[in-house]
Amino acid sequence: MIEGAPNAPSDDQGPDGIDLNPNAQACLQQLLRVWLGFERDLSTVPMLRRIDLGTYTVEDHQCLLRNLRQQVIEGSRWITRAASSFDRNHAEIRSTIISHAVDEHRDYELLEKDYVASGGRLEDILAMGRNIGSEALHGYLMHRSSRPNPIDLLGAMWIIEGLGEKMARSWAERIQELTGLTEDATRFMAYHGHNDGDHMLRFYAMLDEVCIDEKASASIVKTSKVVARLYRLQLEEVEHGLE
Amino acid sequence: MSVYITSTGAFLPGPPVAVEEVEGVLGAVHGKPSSLRVQIQKANKIQTRHYAINEHQQTTHSNTQMASNAATQCLDRAFIPREKVGMLAVATTQGDHPAPGMASMVQAELGLAELEILTAHGICSSSMMALKAAWNSLRLEEHEAALVVSSELASRLLKKQRYEAATGSTFAEKRIDFNTEFLRWMLSDGAGALLLQNKPAPKGLSLRIDWVRGFSHAHAFPTCMSVGSAGRVEDERTWQDYDTYAEAETAGALLLRQDVRLLDNILRMGVDGYLRLAQEGVSKPAEVDHFLCHYSSHHFRNKILDLLDAAGVGIPEERWWTNLYTRGNTGAASLFIMIDEFLRTDEVEIFEGQTILCFVPESGRFNTTYMQLTVVKQ
Repeated sequence: MIEGAPNAPSDDQGPDGIDLNPNAQACLQQLLRVWLGFERDLSTVPMLRRIDLGTYTVEDHQCLLRNLRQQVIEGSRWITRAASSFDRNHAEIRSTIISHAVDEHRDYELLEKDYVASGGRLEDILAMGRNIGSEALHGYLMHRSSRPNPIDLLGAMWIIEGLGEKMARSWAERIQELTGLTEDATRFMAYHGHNDGDHMLRFYAMLDEVCIDEKASASIVKTSKVVARLYRLQLEEVEHGLE
Repeated sequence: MSVYITSTGAFLPGPPVAVEEVEGVLGAVHGKPSSLRVQIQKANKIQTRHYAINEHQQTTHSNTQMASNAATQCLDRAFIPREKVGMLAVATTQGDHPAPGMASMVQAELGLAELEILTAHGICSSSMMALKAAWNSLRLEEHEAALVVSSELASRLLKKQRYEAATGSTFAEKRIDFNTEFLRWMLSDGAGALLLQNKPAPKGLSLRIDWVRGFSHAHAFPTCMSVGSAGRVEDERTWQDYDTYAEAETAGALLLRQDVRLLDNILRMGVDGYLRLAQEGVSKPAEVDHFLCHYSSHHFRNKILDLLDAAGVGIPEERWWTNLYTRGNTGAASLFIMIDEFLRTDEVEIFEGQTILCFVPESGRFNTTYMQLTVVKQ
């Protein structure tokens, strides 16, 4: 299955399948290509390439977690901001986003525990600021989510949820295997796999609801591309000092 | 200028080798049966295959001879004399000689005088590279006919002596080295040939080449399938960097390897490429009547099916056709061997006007190639 799209529609799907409107369906195909390109390009990020090549170390893991924490903290902020930017004509999507935010808004605590379990000092991860890519990503997402009815943020969720599932599917166990760390050090990564099915179903329902013309589709796809690029920037920047 | 496949040929060396006979031909390394063979063969579901080596691991047919045999059959079935062939394009993973190019050797074997030659070197998708070059050459009206041959002699890489000699390799060190052994139970030998012309054959069905496209992702991914390095991240040498070839062999730099963990990427890039062609309007999944997909193992068939369905560009399974299970995975030769048998089999009905989609993914460093053919009758 393509992560991020486990239930994408096809003609021969049974009655349980999700029936997307034609605009949402076309949008989903474009999102899929954005995702596949994003995932491919992640292979060029030096730290992630070390996961592929088998040279990823405990120090790498600590560095990655230190850098991911800010993104997770800011993630709950832009998503709640987005919820408040939807008017009453978008009550359904607002409810979905609020419940999603409730699910994840304290995920960074999990990440902090992972950091300590991998041998890091709590004060180090707490003291870590946003890296250059996190600044750009957060700035962009806060800007988009402050606009009225920011449906294009579905494109952001597509990338970020997809990455959550990828971490669970191909990073968590592999990192344990390479570093000798235990499950305790990869809970944040593994955890994202569990919720994914539900999240994606909700995602498709939202996409069907808001992606009703080409303009909507184009805005969702564009935001997914920007988020994919900025997210990769954030991961490229993990090894650069903040000074 | 339209270009047509007007004749085909194939050559599979020796008798079909059944699943349980495979290790008898390739040889048990140090006399001990492989602990991975059954598992890998169960997953690929290949029932019979052919080898150009005998049970003493002696070569029975050179790669050049196999290519030449397939080409001869193709030319014998053609409606034009050999002299009309203006170009010979040959694809293989590894010719008999590191130099010169395999096309020179095949030309000599066939006795074709003064034509243009091209050798495409790669793995599975090299067949498509050779085909595209020949197609373009005809489209430019430089020739009236071109012969494209793809041939693979993998078994020489897979025989027991290769592994026994690699005493300083990861294969010798590890109890089980899946990446080094994986392809041993997958690949086999054979050759296929296609004749391309600027007009359809006067009788029977021809295949018009509508388009050939390829997307390579080597810039992003590490190498996945290769020969030439020892398979250790810290060692960047390739085989010719060792003082002697013997040292390279000892280190395992001449063993064929597959980084199995990276393999899913080729399926995902394959689907990405097809989505791209569908979005560009180049291919319409609903209009594909026959899908000839080169997958290396049955294991990947369902994954490709699921991925295409998930992307909303699924091609119903009844439109898929392959002879992987009886002819084996012959790498670069697979597609041509498949096209040759597809045109002759009773399993499917082929009509004028039907669309055939061909897909050859190459895991080497992630190249995906696609071709559309239309069935025509003069």
